[in-house]
Amino acid sequence: MPISEAHVGKTYPPTQPYLVTAGKIHEFARALGDENPAYAGAEPVAPPTFAAVLAADAWGALFDDPELDLALSQTMHTNQKFAWRRPLRAGDEVVATLTIDGVRARANTAFVTIAVLLATTAGEELCTASSTLLHTWPVENEEEA
Amino acid sequence: MSVEVGTELPRLAVHLTRETAVRYAGASGDFNPIHYSDFYARALGLEGCIAHGMLTMGTALRVVTDWAGDPAKVRSYGVRFTKPVPVPDDAEGALVEFAGRVTKVADGVATVAIDALCDGVKVLGSATAEVSVD
Repeated sequence: MPISEAHVGKTYPPTQPYLVTAGKIHEFARALGDENPAYAGAEPVAPPTFAAVLAADAWGALFDDPELDLALSQTMHTNQKFAWRRPLRAGDEVVATLTIDGVRARANTAFVTIAVLLATTAGEELCTASSTLLHTWPVENEEEA
Repeated sequence: MSVEVGTELPRLAVHLTRETAVRYAGASGDFNPIHYSDFYARALGLEGCIAHGMLTMGTALRVVTDWAGDPAKVRSYGVRFTKPVPVPDDAEGALVEFAGRVTKVADGVATVAIDALCDGVKVLGSATAEVSVD
């Protein structure tokens, strides 16, 4: 039985703590070609969309859950939204907790909406990263399509 | 800075190349090979490599953070990934052009609508950021 509306509200255990470092922030800002001075130096803040890197860590729980029958290779990322309380910065130790917010399944596809809450290990909430994923299961018999 | 509905943000044009894609893969940890290998991209039915959606989304936000100065002012940001950005294997890569305009100002927060065009095709839909302007 693949993912269904019955899974809405399901929350997974938080990811292992991730330590945000100045070096990783510099590397990420450089990949975006972004020379904003806030991302430079020994105590930088992270570019806002760096939150996606930590949120994606939590996606593993979704694809590892045998109840859902989801595979990353059959998934398209269709929507992304972030709401920040404050920027992530070097020295933050961050855990990501994923909750299934919505499921719309029909035939061999499902739109799955997830919310990943990023918080420090001390419990300070930093960001919510919400994503919509479109999953397609292979059709084994064309008549079923 | 004076901010009102209709304020146009400075435009930004960026070349996304295979090198950009490889750098973003390393920096983000998203090593899906469709972003740097034509072989894997074609296996999925694409004509060739496409940019990471999050690379396009992250680059588009530079329109807002270059304008606002301090990235800590960004409160929220959301997009729909409407069309992939094909990244040819040459020196120029894909030219993506970004623009932004203020659509609302209330309680010290400006809402900015962002356009992202590649070859005249809109590659992000409903791209909107909220930024503190007090």
